[in-house]
Amino acid sequence: MRHFLLPIASLCALSFFTGESAAQCVVEGQIPLPKAHSAPVANKRYEIVSKGGVLATDPPLAVVYLEGSFAKPQPALTKQMVQKNLVFIPTLLPVQLGTKVEFPNLDDTYHNIFSYSPTKRFDLGRYRPDERPIPSQILDKTGVITLRCDIHPHMRALILVLDSPHFVVTDAEGHFRLTGLPAGRFTLKAWINSTTTRELPVELKDGATTQVVFP
Amino acid sequence: MKLFGDNYFTGVSGFRAKLLLAMMTLSVTITGGGLYFAEHKVAAETEHDLLRDFQAEVTALDNTQEIRRIALAERCRALVRRPRIRAALEDNALDLLYPSAKDELSDVMEVPGSTHPLNRVLVARFYRFLDTQGAIIAPPNPTEVGLLTPAEEAQLQLPGMPDKEQLGYLQRSHADHATPTIDEVIVMPIISAQTEEVIAAVAVGFKPVELAANHTDGMKSGIWLGAHLHMLTIPSSVHASLSQEIQNTITAPKAADTGKLHAEINGNSNRLFFKQLNPGSLFPAAYQVSLYPVSAGMLARQKHLRWQATLTCTLLLGASAALSHYLARQLSQPVEKLVIVSAEERLLRERAEADLQRAARFSADASHQLKTPVTVLRAGLEELLALEPLSPEVREEISALVHQTFRLTSIVEDLLMLSQLDAGHLPIQLNTVNLTQLIDALVDDLSALPDELNVEVTCDCPTTYVLGERRYIALILQNLLENARKYNRQSGQIRIACNDDGQAVTLQIANTGSPIHEAAREHIFERFHRGTIGENVPGHGLGLNLARELARLHGGDLWLLRSDTQWTEFAVRFRNAKQGSTFQPTA
Repeated sequence: MRHFLLPIASLCALSFFTGESAAQCVVEGQIPLPKAHSAPVANKRYEIVSKGGVLATDPPLAVVYLEGSFAKPQPALTKQMVQKNLVFIPTLLPVQLGTKVEFPNLDDTYHNIFSYSPTKRFDLGRYRPDERPIPSQILDKTGVITLRCDIHPHMRALILVLDSPHFVVTDAEGHFRLTGLPAGRFTLKAWINSTTTRELPVELKDGATTQVVFP
Repeated sequence: MKLFGDNYFTGVSGFRAKLLLAMMTLSVTITGGGLYFAEHKVAAETEHDLLRDFQAEVTALDNTQEIRRIALAERCRALVRRPRIRAALEDNALDLLYPSAKDELSDVMEVPGSTHPLNRVLVARFYRFLDTQGAIIAPPNPTEVGLLTPAEEAQLQLPGMPDKEQLGYLQRSHADHATPTIDEVIVMPIISAQTEEVIAAVAVGFKPVELAANHTDGMKSGIWLGAHLHMLTIPSSVHASLSQEIQNTITAPKAADTGKLHAEINGNSNRLFFKQLNPGSLFPAAYQVSLYPVSAGMLARQKHLRWQATLTCTLLLGASAALSHYLARQLSQPVEKLVIVSAEERLLRERAEADLQRAARFSADASHQLKTPVTVLRAGLEELLALEPLSPEVREEISALVHQTFRLTSIVEDLLMLSQLDAGHLPIQLNTVNLTQLIDALVDDLSALPDELNVEVTCDCPTTYVLGERRYIALILQNLLENARKYNRQSGQIRIACNDDGQAVTLQIANTGSPIHEAAREHIFERFHRGTIGENVPGHGLGLNLARELARLHGGDLWLLRSDTQWTEFAVRFRNAKQGSTFQPTA
């Protein structure tokens, strides 16, 4: 839970400092998620499933983001996808286009992170925890990236590269809250899996909190 | 003197030779029979051993291939679990599929032109990925994945996507080879780790294990596929016929996965064993064919065993000959001894017979030599008596001399008879003799004699028959009666009694003469013994001895029963005539 909440907290903090205008709009609501394949467990480990070429997390999570034309951050942002206890953390990582993602190895063994996804193909090779600089990739194309480890076939994670600085991962029930948004008319999108993205038009007003319910 | 006759030696050595011959015949028969059965057993066991060896080799080959196939399958299973292969298939990166596999199979893949494959046991010749319809996903660079002709690729096409591994055999033709070869193919489905759905499959072709071509003495191995037998070490001329035979067997109703056949190749008998390599596979059935030359191996082994058996039998025969010789010697020893003993006995007997004949001749000679002078003497004296005139003194003297000649004749006759008895040369004719009648006659003769003593004779003897020769029995009785009269007192008595107990007849003759001295009694049966009291009694001391010897010759005896002041009584025992004629005289 701690790992899961950490990026959300950082995202919220980020929104404050990168606000385009003085307007601090908030949008919150819920999106209905598909039924989980596996029974919920206490520590909520999320896995990537691909069924018929469709990638999703299990239990399902959604990424809600605001679509629009926003300025790119300068300098580029840096995010981390950690390997610890032979899993990727987080399982689903949304990043803004142009973000540099580091892949620190916190296990006491080799990992070999690679991606065959058309969005970004890379192979970091085998490396140990003390590898410096931390192997990283700059993600310069929007889309879904499936991360795998060549040594540990069960390790998988998703990176969602978005052309937006405003995004958030829902909780397990589909609740979300996006803050620090500019006022104006936008399209709010919810990524559910690699082939399903919902969208709703929203009109954000200064200082107001807009309630949204996806159908 | 020569102790043994010639026939002794021929007899014993002949016996030994016959014994040896019999034993040798027996041992040769037993050895020959043993050899015969041993040979049959050897032949049967050789075949059994060969088949067992064959089975063992087949099993060993099967095991080797099984282990190899497990290794191949494991290699393929590891391949399809590789994250890169799954990533290429799942993450929409088919262009990376073959390059990823190339990296993963780099240790086993045969590189054209290179003579040093990295892995000598598992040599992969080609690989292809199949999509979910079983069709080949075209490789971007066919030269890197092992070139296949369209016909060969067509053999890889499966009717559908298998959900488990498949073992197949691919017939490959070569431009530079007249005969096609066989590659072993393993098709391994690629299953999604999360959904457990089959998303693709990989087919990897491996170089099959081949028995060394120089392994021509023992088992030959090959693969039967698509009505063709692929066996390099078998003459290609018989491929077709063998293929047909296998084809007939495996397509027969109730055909099993495995089977045995007899095959004739170039006049040699072979055992052929086949076993389906890929039962249950979607690929066409392929059979492992093992060929074992029965006759060549059998002949070699039989030749070896026959030599051993012959050598053993020769040794056995030699040993049995030695043993037979030894046994024949040992067994013939007692016989030899017996022959020696009998030869000695015969010699003794011959000597005894010679003695007897000499004695008989002597008796006859003595009879002639003694009796004749006595007769001449008596005749001369009687002639003198007839001469006139003779003074009465002379006449009396000559008469006394004539009387002496009679006595001399009597002595000579007794001595002759005794000598005959001693020599065991007195033959007796056993007849039934009426003892009572004989006694009556003798008593009559006795009473007819001039008798100064006036002896009275009483006879209590019912009619009794004894076994014997009449004249000798008469002689015994005459002796006893004469003694009873001679040694009697004046007006004495002679009592004759007869007792028949059924077995023997005992005759007792008693007289009333003076008793015989105690000391003299044991000597009265000795020759030339005469009682001390009868100095004036006529006789020559041979009578009792002769009588006893004659009684004993008749199976009886003669002894002194009593001699006291009242009676002196002798008893003589004869065999009862009712006993039958089984009597044998004692020598």
